[in-house]
Amino acid sequence: MNKTVFNAIYIIAGSLVLSIFAFKVFQPIQVLPRMRLAPAYSFIDQNGQPLTSETLRGHFILYSFTYTHCPAPCYNSNDTIKEIQSRLSEVDLGGIPVSFVTISIDPDRDTPEALKAYGDALNADFSQWHFVTTDNKALLKTIVGAGFETYYEDKGNGEFALDPGFVLVDGWGIIRSEYRYTTEVSDADRILRHLGVLAEEVQNSTGTTKLAYEAAHLFLCYAP
Amino acid sequence: MKIKAALISLAIILGLAVGFIFFRPHTFHGSVIQSPEPAFDFTLSGSNGDVSLSDFRGKVVLIYFGYTFCPDICPGTLANVAQALRSMGDKAEEVQLIMVSLDPERDTPEKLAEYMGHFDPSFIGITGTKAQIDEVTALYGIFYQKAEGSEATNYLIDHTATLMVLDREGFLKLVFPYGVTSEEIADDLKYMLRQ
Repeated sequence: MNKTVFNAIYIIAGSLVLSIFAFKVFQPIQVLPRMRLAPAYSFIDQNGQPLTSETLRGHFILYSFTYTHCPAPCYNSNDTIKEIQSRLSEVDLGGIPVSFVTISIDPDRDTPEALKAYGDALNADFSQWHFVTTDNKALLKTIVGAGFETYYEDKGNGEFALDPGFVLVDGWGIIRSEYRYTTEVSDADRILRHLGVLAEEVQNSTGTTKLAYEAAHLFLCYAP
Repeated sequence: MKIKAALISLAIILGLAVGFIFFRPHTFHGSVIQSPEPAFDFTLSGSNGDVSLSDFRGKVVLIYFGYTFCPDICPGTLANVAQALRSMGDKAEEVQLIMVSLDPERDTPEKLAEYMGHFDPSFIGITGTKAQIDEVTALYGIFYQKAEGSEATNYLIDHTATLMVLDREGFLKLVFPYGVTSEEIADDLKYMLRQ
């Protein structure tokens, strides 16, 4: 083989390595990881109507966890949801609906009526924001504790130990991000940014560009 | 000199094209999951005793949730998997399909074994109490509920009809939507077996 062929091979190999390196460093496409499947459920909402994991299939869903007797200020997670809801127009969602589901971990006291009153007090838009729970406490623990990996425990004095946070699920029922409650960083900004990243992937991840998105997943090009 | 430059350019273009064709990432036909933790392990009853998911470490495992009275979706999916495995020859021995029954009232382990055998002799059907099934379905994202059926079936069960694939180490890797073909299943399984 002459020198020209060897040079060509070196250049090909070099350009391949460089392009992979550039993809990883510059991350022209960013995605959110497909972490695990969101749990399935059949809850009762604030209107006494069933809300199942299939009802909201195709929506981006932001889950949060609370109980109506949670002593104020109760982590302010509702304020974050209200802020996200009011700023949704800042994000290009491509027509993909967003829903908020707040799961109560206290089914004994959080009847549909109690959840309705709680939502009313928050001035919640019930068309987009659902307050739910189930009487089946064992299954509730499985769904919230094991499925959403959110710790809670009944302390027996009317209060619960709760590790609050948010879980973002895509339209296929896959958990794409988790947010442990923090007072230091605005969860709303981060969640809104992530909704935009998800919507972009759904809109562009077809045909040949799907390969680029799969490469972004492969090279862990995750949005901050 | 000009000819040399042209040849090098041509070689680069050809090389990139060949590289793209042979080294591009495999495009899966379902949603790829990058879970950092193994899938939930469970134990339910089969016709030969208890069956645990962890019994099949070392094999690629397909999990499906269905029931023997299922009129169309379940038999269609199971037939597609059986056909995919037949097309894979000896490699199929490294794959195990498990169907978890969503109908513990009517699906006994024996009835499940007979039903599954119609599709492929290696297929396993398992069942348990409603509480056990509720726990497993919740954690695998499978919604199910009873629905009105015909006189012959009495009742039907509406359910999420995805087909899940776990790798040899028990991590959930792939979720096929309903409607995936036998060719697509075989294509992805062959790729996973090469990993």
